[in-house]
Amino acid sequence: MSKNNSMSKALVRRETIAGYAFMLPSLIFFLGFVIYPMVQCVFTSFFDATMNREDIFIGLANYKELFQDKVFLGALKNTVIIVVVSVPVTCIFSLWVSSVIYDLAGPACSAFRCIFYLPVVTGSVAVAVVWKWMFNNYYGIFNYIGTNTGLIEKNINWLGDEKFALGCIILILLTTSVGQPIVLYVSALNNVDQSLVEAAEVDGATKFQCFWKIKWSQIMPTTLYILVITTINSFQCFALIQLLTSGGPNHSTDTIMYYIYYNAFKLYRYGYGNAMGVVLAIIIALLSAVQFKMAESK
Amino acid sequence: MKKRKLMALALSCVMVCSMTACGGKDTGSDQSASTSTPAPAPAEKEEAPAEKASTTENTDSQTPTGSTQAADITLWTYPIGSWGDSATVDGLIANFNAVYPDIKVTVEYLDYTNGDDQINTAIEGKQAPDLVMEGPERLVANWGAKGLMVDLGDLWTDDAKSLIYDSVQNACKSNDGVFYEYPLCMTAHTMAINRDIFEAADALQYLDEETGTWTTENFQKAVQAVYDYGQTNVGAVYCSGQGGDQGTRALINNLYGGTFTNPEHTEYTANSAENIKALELLKSMDGINFDASIAGGDEINMFCNGTFAMAFCWNVSQEKNNLENISFDALPMAFPSEDGIPQLCGGIWGFGIFDNGDPAKIEAAKTFIDFMANDEKQVVESVKASNYWPVKDLGNIYDGDALMTEYSKFVEYMGDYYQVVGGWAEARTAWWNMLQQVGSGTDVATAVEEFVTTANTAAAQ
Amino acid sequence: MKQRQFNRSTCYKIVSVIIIAILAFTFAFPLYWIIIGSFKTPAAINATTPQWWPQEWVLDNYRKLFSRQVAALWEIHIPFTSISLMGPEVPAAIRWLLNTVFMAVAAMLLTCTTAAMAGYALAKKRFVGRTLVFSLIVCAMALPKQVILVPLLREMASLELYNTIWAVIFPIVGWPFGVFLMKQFSEGIPGEMMEAAKIDGAGEWKTFYTIALPLIKPGIGALAIFTFINSWNDYFMQLIMLTSTKNLTISLGIAKLQAENATDFGLIMAGASLAAIPIIIIFLIFQKYFTKGITMGAVKG
Repeated sequence: MSKNNSMSKALVRRETIAGYAFMLPSLIFFLGFVIYPMVQCVFTSFFDATMNREDIFIGLANYKELFQDKVFLGALKNTVIIVVVSVPVTCIFSLWVSSVIYDLAGPACSAFRCIFYLPVVTGSVAVAVVWKWMFNNYYGIFNYIGTNTGLIEKNINWLGDEKFALGCIILILLTTSVGQPIVLYVSALNNVDQSLVEAAEVDGATKFQCFWKIKWSQIMPTTLYILVITTINSFQCFALIQLLTSGGPNHSTDTIMYYIYYNAFKLYRYGYGNAMGVVLAIIIALLSAVQFKMAESK
Repeated sequence: MKKRKLMALALSCVMVCSMTACGGKDTGSDQSASTSTPAPAPAEKEEAPAEKASTTENTDSQTPTGSTQAADITLWTYPIGSWGDSATVDGLIANFNAVYPDIKVTVEYLDYTNGDDQINTAIEGKQAPDLVMEGPERLVANWGAKGLMVDLGDLWTDDAKSLIYDSVQNACKSNDGVFYEYPLCMTAHTMAINRDIFEAADALQYLDEETGTWTTENFQKAVQAVYDYGQTNVGAVYCSGQGGDQGTRALINNLYGGTFTNPEHTEYTANSAENIKALELLKSMDGINFDASIAGGDEINMFCNGTFAMAFCWNVSQEKNNLENISFDALPMAFPSEDGIPQLCGGIWGFGIFDNGDPAKIEAAKTFIDFMANDEKQVVESVKASNYWPVKDLGNIYDGDALMTEYSKFVEYMGDYYQVVGGWAEARTAWWNMLQQVGSGTDVATAVEEFVTTANTAAAQ
Repeated sequence: MKQRQFNRSTCYKIVSVIIIAILAFTFAFPLYWIIIGSFKTPAAINATTPQWWPQEWVLDNYRKLFSRQVAALWEIHIPFTSISLMGPEVPAAIRWLLNTVFMAVAAMLLTCTTAAMAGYALAKKRFVGRTLVFSLIVCAMALPKQVILVPLLREMASLELYNTIWAVIFPIVGWPFGVFLMKQFSEGIPGEMMEAAKIDGAGEWKTFYTIALPLIKPGIGALAIFTFINSWNDYFMQLIMLTSTKNLTISLGIAKLQAENATDFGLIMAGASLAAIPIIIIFLIFQKYFTKGITMGAVKG
């Protein structure tokens, strides 16, 4: 490929022009509505900015305060918990469900697939309304069933108790995020090369071995894709928190995403909120980069 | 071939979309779209034209000269009685337009859960409403203090000053004496009990049904009696958010005569011995839950469906709005206090004007306020729409209305209007966080101390 | 030996299917409850013991929902004039639905178009700065929009897009996940085919249009579905950017209903049904394409 090495300058220029011409529409939106605000965000994070007042330059004070702010650190922890719990659980759960339903009779499989997809299309707001009622301390369905069957001794204030609130949020998040992975896994499992599976079975491999040795590697690209979209989804978990707990009780369900909103529009601390945004952005950027490198190497 | 067509179609759609986007006015932007007046300038700062504007013509609703005024203004209301109901408000605006046909009023309805956030985002979005209807805690202490509101000094004529009650008047102006609100109505927030349950539990003996008052001691006994009767959820100190927090504040302040701020409204005093004692009492009482999963609105709902035997977030509007949901006798009560003489938390509501830089709109907004709150015939209707009481003596406007008469006995117990203290928005947020802490077992003194520190820091800014 | 293993795996299968059936029931429950609830009387819906099946079916909730506020069905402003074309007055909820559909479709079309082109360029064009752009895209891919909340709000304000549906659409389009996805797809376009097209004298655009586009079509399908559903559910941007009743989306409308009428669950349920049912119908009709698009996207990418 010596031709490539000696690619003339003119060719490079032509490629560059064509490349940017194709990139242009997307870049306008990307630079205009993601990168530009991000730069602004970094910039104002060095200021004490609030509503209707000249911003005051305060250097790194926002960042200094950030790492002494217990609520922020708690929110950081909660954000990590949500991602660390919900991503693997979503993947494993949907893989399990798919592995059971993918070879069921056509209508049964598609019925299941459809049902697990329902919460996704119903939308978080509508789903949150019902879950709020189901978790109700006094006559919610969980307490109703729990006390009637003797599973729990007395009513639990699911969303009002620090011990349970975050778990409840994660549970709801799970129901709204397994739909797509299940659809993906079902198709991926159906596309597994059957001849390989049969060959292995002839060799006396158990179902379990079959799965790990053959199917797992074949559905790897799907798994990676699912990991990426689930991570993205978990970071977007805002509506549930805003509608169900407002970060409470005792900040036990605060995430950085919610805490930014809270600082900006309840406490009017724009600069401080932006500093948080910058920290979160750095974390997420690193995470995405790592995830991508992992995907590339596979 | 088919693909091509589809793609072309898609592309042309996108083109059309982006073209309208360039126009930037497709589905919305009411203000920029339909008026010829310059849209709010994108510049960050503008000279406040308030003073200039306020010197122009003296608007008087009786003289039809005002009717030549033309402007499009937006009014955002919080759910203050039926001012949150579009059918009622449409009627009020129709009255206004009969006199001022060229002032078009577009109304948006806010709620107490997200309303503040909505106005705050709108302010940042440079589309703050022209007129907003709420109380001094927001209009004066929050947006007024931030320099976003118009000085309403010219509406506060000597006449107005002599008519409107002094306590209301004081609440409507900032610490430096600038009026940011023109009031319309007021009420005293109460609590309520499920009379049927109290009767069955033989707890009615602990309260004075005539005056609607009780002492702290009797309150304790009554709650215990109801609890022993089998109603284990007697009441809830709700704290999932700020909705209805006046109820929890009034309850805690009244029990042992604590106050929320100092009399000058410069400092928070929620950490006083009285308040700590009250919180400790509530925490220790059987039947009173600190519930971080509900806010005021939920509490009302659960009182109405019989889950709780008492509601702390109550006033006459709640009863009126929930008449069809209540299947028992709801008895309004004042908050209990040691001597049985409560200091009820008041609500004052009126109008404020956001300074959006357009003198014509500001003038039109003032005309609107003047009509709604000062026109002799209109003011009665405006006040009645709120289900509350007027801020000046209009005679008995609720003659023959049994419900209003029942509740009017509480107005005299109206306490200090401390909500105009500095840092109010932050303090409210800190308040429910504090209650959540107490609920989950944090030592009361520690939690209250933290609250006071946060709130006073905000007040000092 | 073989027999026993077969039995065990059948057993596992049956138990699993039963468990999954129970779970499926809980997954379907919220939707069931919303729809059932929207036909209940206030007393039934606020009852402290759940009424699994309404004793009495009423339409009051829908009547109330539709009689609340009105808005013009559409409103098209002709650029550079002060003329607006207004549609007939309809209940605000209908307008919200229309806004939501418009928003989701516009976001979908814009995203697919821009991302397909950009992904193609990133995968197949060796241009200066390509690595930098791509790294930026990867890093920003999972960025929650809350991070840029205030700057974005101020930007929309100065562009005078605040409180228009475009303030919600543009950030969705700018979100680079689509470009990333399309780049992964476009890697699969064989270079020889492009070379051949070039030798035949096809220009850049024609090569893209005739060679690349048909090959990445499944990917575009996947992205379209992903974007449509995500923007339908993108509650946060809507919450921040939209204020006027007539500009709300259906999710935001319900959230507002919930906040305003904490006591009126029936009304909220009616609103929630109105939000959920159209998209579920769309989903059921296009189910095959949905799943096909998503899978092809993932399996190949």
